Amino acid sequence: MEEKKSVAAKIGGFFKWIGTDLKEIGRTFVKGDVLTKISFIIMGFGQIVRKQFARGIAFLAAEAAALYFIFSFGANYLKDIVTLGTHGRGFNPDGTVSYGDNSFFILLYGILTIVVILALLFLWRVNLRQNMDAQERLAEGKRLPTNRQDLFSLLDENFDKTLMALPVLGIFVFTVLPIIFMICVAFTNYDKNHQPPSALFTWVGVDNFKNLVSFGTEGFGPTFFTVLLWTLIWAFFATFLTYFLGMAIAMLINKKGIRFKKLWRTILVMTIAVPQFVSLLYVGKMFAADGLVNAYLMKWGWISSAIPFWTNPMLARIMIILINLWIGIPYTMLIVTGLLMNIPAELYESARIDGANAFQTFRSITLPYMLFVTGPFLLTQFTGNLNNFNVIFLLNQGKPQAMNLTGNAGYTDLLVTWLYKMTVNDTNYRMAAVIGIMVFIVTAVVSLVVYNLLPSVKDEEGFQ
Amino acid sequence: MLRRRRIGNALAYLLLIIISVIWLFPFFCLLMQSFRSYATESGGMVNYLMPREFSLDNYKFLFGDGTKFTKWYLNTFIIAVFVTLFQTIVIICVSYALSRMRFKGRRGLMNIWLVLGMFPGFLTMICLYFLLKMLGLTQEGAIPGLILISVASSGMGYYVCKGYFDTIPKSLDEAARIDGASRAQILFQMIIPLSKPIIIYTALVAFMAPWCDYIFASYVAFGHSDSYNVAVAMQRWVWTNDYQGYFTRFCAGGILVAIPVTILFMCLQRYYVEGVTGGSVKG
Amino acid sequence: MNKKLLSLLLVLAMALGMLTACGGNNNTETPAADNTPAATETEAPADVDYGSGTITIWVADNITDFTQAQAAAFIEANPAFAGYDIVVEAVGEGDAAGNMITDVEGGADIYGFAQDQLSRLVVAGALTPVVGDNAAWVAEQNDAGAVGAATMGDTIYAYPITSDNGYFLYYDSSVITDPTSLEAILADAEAAGKGVYMEINNGWYQTSFFFGTGCELTYDTDENGFTGANVTYASDAGVQALKAIIALSNSPAFTNGSSVENATNAAAIIDGTWDAGNAQALFGDNYAAAKLPTFTVDGNTYQMSGFSGFKLLGVKPQTDAGKLAACQALAQYLSSADVQLARFEAVGWGPSNLTAQQDPAVQADPALAALAEQIPYDIPQGQYPGDYWGLATSLGDSVIANEYDNASDEELMAVLTQFQDTCISYAQ
Repeated sequence: MEEKKSVAAKIGGFFKWIGTDLKEIGRTFVKGDVLTKISFIIMGFGQIVRKQFARGIAFLAAEAAALYFIFSFGANYLKDIVTLGTHGRGFNPDGTVSYGDNSFFILLYGILTIVVILALLFLWRVNLRQNMDAQERLAEGKRLPTNRQDLFSLLDENFDKTLMALPVLGIFVFTVLPIIFMICVAFTNYDKNHQPPSALFTWVGVDNFKNLVSFGTEGFGPTFFTVLLWTLIWAFFATFLTYFLGMAIAMLINKKGIRFKKLWRTILVMTIAVPQFVSLLYVGKMFAADGLVNAYLMKWGWISSAIPFWTNPMLARIMIILINLWIGIPYTMLIVTGLLMNIPAELYESARIDGANAFQTFRSITLPYMLFVTGPFLLTQFTGNLNNFNVIFLLNQGKPQAMNLTGNAGYTDLLVTWLYKMTVNDTNYRMAAVIGIMVFIVTAVVSLVVYNLLPSVKDEEGFQ
Repeated sequence: MLRRRRIGNALAYLLLIIISVIWLFPFFCLLMQSFRSYATESGGMVNYLMPREFSLDNYKFLFGDGTKFTKWYLNTFIIAVFVTLFQTIVIICVSYALSRMRFKGRRGLMNIWLVLGMFPGFLTMICLYFLLKMLGLTQEGAIPGLILISVASSGMGYYVCKGYFDTIPKSLDEAARIDGASRAQILFQMIIPLSKPIIIYTALVAFMAPWCDYIFASYVAFGHSDSYNVAVAMQRWVWTNDYQGYFTRFCAGGILVAIPVTILFMCLQRYYVEGVTGGSVKG
Repeated sequence: MNKKLLSLLLVLAMALGMLTACGGNNNTETPAADNTPAATETEAPADVDYGSGTITIWVADNITDFTQAQAAAFIEANPAFAGYDIVVEAVGEGDAAGNMITDVEGGADIYGFAQDQLSRLVVAGALTPVVGDNAAWVAEQNDAGAVGAATMGDTIYAYPITSDNGYFLYYDSSVITDPTSLEAILADAEAAGKGVYMEINNGWYQTSFFFGTGCELTYDTDENGFTGANVTYASDAGVQALKAIIALSNSPAFTNGSSVENATNAAAIIDGTWDAGNAQALFGDNYAAAKLPTFTVDGNTYQMSGFSGFKLLGVKPQTDAGKLAACQALAQYLSSADVQLARFEAVGWGPSNLTAQQDPAVQADPALAALAEQIPYDIPQGQYPGDYWGLATSLGDSVIANEYDNASDEELMAVLTQFQDTCISYAQ
């Protein structure tokens, strides 16, 4: 509830902040001396004249680079962003091709240019503030930090900026920018019939979202909800079955009197160590119609025809959940083993004195403790499983398909594997982008709801 | 009482043995099939497990001239080494800044990253492909391109490492600062030496990921077999009809991929356990 | 001294970093400002100068060496193109189309693909039209089916290289006594505890039943894509075919598949010439091949039909006239009679070239003979939208998953009506 209120308040606050900030810029211009005023146009000018060369040059270089980028490159793309290009491809009389506008690059670089402009504005604002600040300090007779101090601060009080610069830049270019781009794609008709450089794509509003929830013969609605439901069921079973069975196995190994504890654990973690594309691809083949498992069952005369592990929808789903145990249990086992040691021995001691049996101690001591401590882990496991591409894809690629599913979706497809098929097999980027947004929404909603229910979040201090 | 415990233990052993067999059986099959002779039996799938005659045909093939397996293996190894190196550095930097320093926008940044992590990675594949292409890092340049992509966004995986840094008492930092140490000196001279287990964990996880990456790798390296990694190259042997009789070769290749990674993992298991346990609790 | 310089540089770099980082996540530095989306080659050449560069060719793995050798021979015979380096990469026919579509500019200059990909590739702009003399040459050298396979609308888009992309029956003659009837084959295989393999969830194999009972499924095209669909699956004939598929899938001997490599216990497999070697190895002395069998539904017997398909070589649109000429000449050479014959000798691919087809060695090949026997019952595979294949897989998967085992004729008709409507919708 508080979240909602604060969102509205934040939006209001944002506009208020813009208002005051504009006022302050005006005041800076009126009150600023010549240096500060020149810095309105030539960023860093004031700093350089005031002998803060490091800052000044950095600002100047940033401005030069940004302006060069915008005018020599970005503007060409930005101007077309409303139409995403108008000139198509054509063949010349000599048979060669001449490519026209490329909607993809117009959109991508258009977004990039907008971001660069915003960044420039931000730097410009910082630059103004620094100038005004410096001017006032000098007027008060204080000294400005020297270049040496400026630079050294990057290893000390401003060390965070040094550390974060590259990671943040990397995340921006290779995560944020692509995500903004793909969100935009969800509102275009970028698909196999509109593929740059040979064809243009353009904005289509919310058509794709309508298609996702429409229930006609061509609508994605029924398929989307089938896949979504299976995604949730899968994540639930994959998370909790591995969790409880992993806990059981960990306790089994930890049992008093069991020897070779390390050996048992090592055997189990084999599935973590061996790359999944080897192990899962192989296991998938083992259970194929002509795979080893069916072959031996038939040889021994237990079955007369192959068990349709991967072709029967229900069986395929069960198999995937089962095989996922093989991969998933060791993780839980490791974690639980570590945590079991942390449970105070006195608790068990007093329980035993009270005459509790093994099951009762488990229910009243071990389980509550585990659930409390591993709450966040369960949540990340759950969201991880919502997007567990490898298990599904390496085992059976989401098969089997069926007549009542559209878009080449299969019964074991998760939203992510469906998204992958759309991207790679069908180059249906418009719907892939919509599905991607849906995956985001599902993950976010689940995380938010569960996160607020977790005991360890409500009672953070109590546990620490 | 003793009798009951003995029965209980016997049952537990039985269960553990069954579990172990289930866990190891697929790897055993994989190993056996890799020894099946290509020449005298078949390279495809068969309906029996033990090869009629053990041979190293498939391994010989992998190291022979008929395939670029050694090249692909080397590619993967190079990617893994560089990703390990850079990713570990990036994660340490980010974790230290977020754990030890309080700066404007810190919470906001963490929240934004959390939200970004909820978008499925495949969504942006096509966009990343063209970004890399613009930098010349596809096809011929796919290997540096893959390293760049893995490293560029690795800052978002700071949780476990930051959680560990959080457990190192702040009073140590303060004492060091009173002695005149800068933030940078604290990181290099105090935090890093104290965090060996988590750094090894971070590096181990980073090292293992590239061996399994075929989705993005095949997207970036397509049409240029010198830039494939093992996963890209070998999944074709299973899934593409062009490669008839490559199933046992896939098994042999899989064994060769699994061995070093598994050995490394087993050696560093202790740190891995520490990492996942710590990470899971901190969330 | 050195140390100082180094630290100065480092600090400078950090200063920039600071500026970029102090806002959280903004950046000013952007990657290389050079944008040349279209590959720019040298300007148009003079009459004889075809320029220089690299021509990339994608072909299936087993003919990479062959193609490399042939390309070298081509350059030797045509010194005018000596400026070009030929790079041959193993990219499977399925992957090639997908990769070309993802990034036309990053794709190969010449690439091999199965004809079912042609329409996708044309729509994605990954094929340059074959025009003028070259088009006339393609039309006169190859059999009519192959030319049709390379044509969309009225334009030829590719160079046919094989006409053997059809399927027929491989069987173990010690198990199968009567290869002319599907029921007899299944009975023999069941009795022997062996498998009969057919990939019924593949739109390509599936048609053998539907076309066999007389259904129709073709598309009309022009240069921009599909303009109309002629589908009669939602008919009594369609129901008969679907029933036959259901009956096949319910036989204990049935396994869904069409790859000898993955068939562990086969007595019969419906497959194509590319698997001839493997089938020979699998069945040994009992190796035999025949045309597809007949099947019987409700007392009516039909001959299985199917697609006769073709493999093609395509040239990507080029911005440079010299390179375009080189690529076209090379593609023409690689699809010429001599090279097709050499390819047949090297890997057994059946030629599409009329002259090469007359070669005694080609005519004597048992797999190709079985295919030749089957072809009269087949229809030449025209153009199909990519979505059709996915839809057919869905139908096949539903059959295999026993969804229709107890369905009445009306229910099957409803399924086929949906199938037909969806097929028609692809053409709009």
